[in-house]
Amino acid sequence: MSSETSKPGVKRREFLKVVGAGSATATMIGCSSERVEKLIPYFVSPDQTVPGVSTYYASTCRECASACGIIAETRDGRTIKLEGNPDHPVNRGALCAKGQAALQGLYNPDRYRTPMVRRGGKLEKTTWDDALKIFGDKLAEARRNPGGVAFINRHQSGGFPQLLNSWLAGMGMAPALSIDPDADTTAIAANLQTFGVAWPRYDFASTRLIISFGADFLDGWGASVPQQLDFADARARGANAPRFIYVGARRSLTGLNADDWIPAKPGSELAIVQMLSGASTPQQAAQASGVDVARLTALQTEFAAAKPALVLAAGGGPNGMELCLAANALNGTSGAVSIADAYRGFEGIDPVSHIRALGQRMQGGGVSMLMVHNVDPVYLMPKSSGFRAAMAKVPFKVSFSSIMDETSEMADLILPDNHSLESWGEAQAVTNTLSLQQPTMDPVFDTRAIADVLLAVSRTTGTPIATMPDYRSLMISRFPGGAAGLAAALPKGISSGSVQQPAGSKALPQPVAAANAGNGDFTLLVYPSPALGMGEGANKPWLQELPDPVTKIAWQTVAEIHPATARKLGVENGDHVIVETAAGKLSLPVYTYQGIREDVVAVAAGRGHADSAGRYAKAGSNAFDLLTYAEDRSGSIMLGSTRARVTKDGGHSRLVTTEGSARQHGRGIAQAVVVGQLGGTHEASGSEHAAEAAPQGSVSGEQKERALGEKAAAGEHGGEEGHPEFPGDASHEFLPGLRSPTAKDAQGDLGGPGTKSKEKGMYDPEHWSGMARRRWAMTIDLARCTGCSACVTACYAENNIPTVGADWQGPKVLPDRTGFGANITRSREMSWIRLERYFEGGEDGGADFETRFVPMLCQHCGNAPCEPVCPVYATYHAPDGLNVQVYNRCVGTRYCSNNCPYKVRYFNWFGYGEPARAQYAFPEPLNWQLNPDVTVRGKGVMEKCTFCVQRIREAENRAALEHRGVEPDEFTVACAEACPSRAITFGDAADERWTVAKLVNDERAYHVFEELNTYTAVVYLKKVNHPGAMTTSPVAAPEVH
Amino acid sequence: MIKQRKWFAIPGFLTLAAAAAILSAYAGASSSQGNSPAQPVPFPHPMHVQTLKMNCVYCHFSANKSPDPGLPAMSTCMGCHTVVGTSKPGVQKLASFASKNQPVPWVRIHKVPEYVHFPHMRHVNAGVSCQTCHGNVQNMAQVSQQNSLNMGWCVNCHVGRSNPPFKARYDCATCHY
Repeated sequence: MSSETSKPGVKRREFLKVVGAGSATATMIGCSSERVEKLIPYFVSPDQTVPGVSTYYASTCRECASACGIIAETRDGRTIKLEGNPDHPVNRGALCAKGQAALQGLYNPDRYRTPMVRRGGKLEKTTWDDALKIFGDKLAEARRNPGGVAFINRHQSGGFPQLLNSWLAGMGMAPALSIDPDADTTAIAANLQTFGVAWPRYDFASTRLIISFGADFLDGWGASVPQQLDFADARARGANAPRFIYVGARRSLTGLNADDWIPAKPGSELAIVQMLSGASTPQQAAQASGVDVARLTALQTEFAAAKPALVLAAGGGPNGMELCLAANALNGTSGAVSIADAYRGFEGIDPVSHIRALGQRMQGGGVSMLMVHNVDPVYLMPKSSGFRAAMAKVPFKVSFSSIMDETSEMADLILPDNHSLESWGEAQAVTNTLSLQQPTMDPVFDTRAIADVLLAVSRTTGTPIATMPDYRSLMISRFPGGAAGLAAALPKGISSGSVQQPAGSKALPQPVAAANAGNGDFTLLVYPSPALGMGEGANKPWLQELPDPVTKIAWQTVAEIHPATARKLGVENGDHVIVETAAGKLSLPVYTYQGIREDVVAVAAGRGHADSAGRYAKAGSNAFDLLTYAEDRSGSIMLGSTRARVTKDGGHSRLVTTEGSARQHGRGIAQAVVVGQLGGTHEASGSEHAAEAAPQGSVSGEQKERALGEKAAAGEHGGEEGHPEFPGDASHEFLPGLRSPTAKDAQGDLGGPGTKSKEKGMYDPEHWSGMARRRWAMTIDLARCTGCSACVTACYAENNIPTVGADWQGPKVLPDRTGFGANITRSREMSWIRLERYFEGGEDGGADFETRFVPMLCQHCGNAPCEPVCPVYATYHAPDGLNVQVYNRCVGTRYCSNNCPYKVRYFNWFGYGEPARAQYAFPEPLNWQLNPDVTVRGKGVMEKCTFCVQRIREAENRAALEHRGVEPDEFTVACAEACPSRAITFGDAADERWTVAKLVNDERAYHVFEELNTYTAVVYLKKVNHPGAMTTSPVAAPEVH
Repeated sequence: MIKQRKWFAIPGFLTLAAAAAILSAYAGASSSQGNSPAQPVPFPHPMHVQTLKMNCVYCHFSANKSPDPGLPAMSTCMGCHTVVGTSKPGVQKLASFASKNQPVPWVRIHKVPEYVHFPHMRHVNAGVSCQTCHGNVQNMAQVSQQNSLNMGWCVNCHVGRSNPPFKARYDCATCHY
């Protein structure tokens, strides 16, 4: 039902357009139904949409250069969820956290809502007519000296760059710089030289060994999503899986997925690659890298034996170009590098040296007009580059940024671009395939697509670049089949074809070496944050709140140092240290991390924007302030060559971490097997504790089933004989399969004749409703999970989970816990699913440790500890296996959370979903994204994973409308749908036609805390370890008895 | 002794009575049964349904295919009322909204409590008539809420105690999520 309380101050046009049929279900708490609500009808009903039923638009994600396909779910005129497009050749249905969070770019409260112009030194709102007139006049002025005009464009593939360059060329201006701060332009330059393509596809499955030299191919290095899909597929191949060795000064997320880590000195990777190519000896490499000769010899031996092997290397070091070229040369003939399947979206990215050179020109007064589109060079360029001061000298600066940032803050005219979800476009995904981009909704604010602005301005300035009025018409004009052809291709989101990319043949400015790399005992390593990238994600609260997959830190910038270094400095977690370089110094809280060399201090980039970048982006500190500006041979910035001094500072900050302990303490939460212990086939063997069992799984599947049956029977028996049953006591009777309890049903008078339904009602499998014949369940394959945390953001998006870390959301009564992340320091984060990260081995702080990632969510126990302790029956076990939380009933005793062994219940402390409260998590228009199928919880209720019950109900409703049953694997939950490693499978474990029903009987299957008899519905499949000659860490979990 | 007890009993009784009064008042407040607000434009359902024989889903067009029953767009109203009944004051009021490109801000009457999901299409397709929940709207010159729409009222039907009986799941998470 369409409903919306009428609000004064909302622009009527927007109100009609978007609110038209609003969302009754995304309502706030409140007992009273006395408040007068209005039902606002559409003025004219949009075609082909049904209120309350989603419409889906295929489009393209523009958050990075990969050009993944997305399906945007749009309800009543608002886009509410992004999924991967299953038919897209790049991401094949998966979508990373950054892609999910594009929605928070669309609905960001810090977006520019109108054009702005600087008058009297201040930016003021203006109209498009006014802004375009100013722009046209200034362009006419600038055309007299076209050489003095520069354009910095956010890199994107497709037709727009060509349009932009012909627009500039029409006025005699130089082509735009195409900047992608997240792209490794060193590796791209090397790839172009070696393979002739910017980013080839790496065929992980065909290799026997992967060696990565700082190449974080799972967290931001290149086409992360498809690389993760391919990597997970390769590693899921059991005995045929490639081994993976990571070489680098810091173990990144990708490094944590490696079987072995070689902690080489920053910048010494080249020496090891040269050893592998036979150009030097292990002794020479050991001397350069500070690594044991024995380890390097083992690496050399393994590399020589493994055919084919894949060697990947990233830039960022002092000799990045040489390193990447040498690594590429090692792959030369291995066949693991597929050039035909290259990701074409990475073509034409310009290295940062162009911006530096532009800065020098601006400094010299050679630039009269600067135009910037969705790049933030003022933030990105280290202070030591002097870019900011240089830009201030430009007389007229135009920004096309859709969102507030440091660069647009300095602009004289802001012509806000539409968000990519509001724009037309296309991207070159792979060879001969265009990924189409279409608006998924009307613009949220009074913004205009930059392409349309350029087309309009080109007509008024007398240099028309096309006869078409807007970019959509332009797309149609060159699309095979015209408008009809485009309309036919849009639902799929892809079409065959290619768009000529502007040649990236701008002359590379002479690289500058570090003027002064400084001195100090440490090397500073600045790395792109897996969630925030180089800072573009910082204005999105989902990404700020997403704990870093490695450090588990949110909202905060920390200095990562080795525990031994911390001991030497006399500091512990949270104590402040001063990191000082030639460029500047920062006081940062310490995070001790054993995955880092003792002579390295690492700081994640992306946080610490200026106040002008909006309310979220200012959290944390800016790592670029520490960087001494230097370039490698490809013109890319060096991130790991600055020397630093680290000294103890006085203060202490609580770490904004979601982590309790990095160790399992024998609890067996994340279990693993060694690859040799796996049976040949999935049916052949099964053991709850594979490490206990004989190598070739001596317990047959049937035996296991029988054993489990006996266990269940014993439980039932014990219940009946040993203990009297109390009202509200968990049942002692279980349905077969993945055990689900039966219960007495107060309403159970609907059973058919001859059934037990009289007493058991819907808990009787024979009951007409058939509810108890289902058991919703999930499997999570730890051999596939890489810890990337895309599932977490997908869950935030699907389930209206509030972020709690913004500085206005903290507890007001605790002065020592204010600022960003204050709630998280009190463990008040709300993430229904979280990524636990455990280290095994290396207790002495050594480099030989193994990492296990465990997505932890409500286990939907068949015998749930939370249920019997609830005094008001707010949580109970549904007949179809869900552990249900009824918000109406919940009075907030939090007993359930106390009794939950998995700690997956989250209490809504402050009413984050209530607009009237100071802690409101969805400032307008972020609340437009809220999923109308999911309740926005109010203050004082317990919440937790629901197994996306709204999706279950939606599937059931759809099936009922079509007079059929729910088909196997017809739908899945949000985390599983997003997962870029396909680790999560959801479905009905009681129906063997579902995939999950097969997986729960996998030989690697286990339940977390099985000894508690919780009979969980989430079944984990043990991680598979691939130890090598150099591996010394324990490879299987300590067993729990 | 008796006197003493009385001094305890009277305030105790008064407290209980007050509590009962407050609780019952609260319980009453949780339903807006009988609510019949005036609408910005008087819409005579009897005229449209009985005289003109219009089906409910002509205007409430998605009641049989969506959780949302659908509210007719202004263009649906004006499809007829550009020419029909233009002399009537109600239609003139409607036309004045339409001429200003404004939708009519109808006052909402039927609303299930918070945290509840009510999929219209499941009910309509199961053969539950509109009148079962909404009352005989076809007779109402001004629509009023006939039923409490409280949980007990819902469950009564779900467990088959209605006449004619319907069978529907009564598990909490059927509606509460």
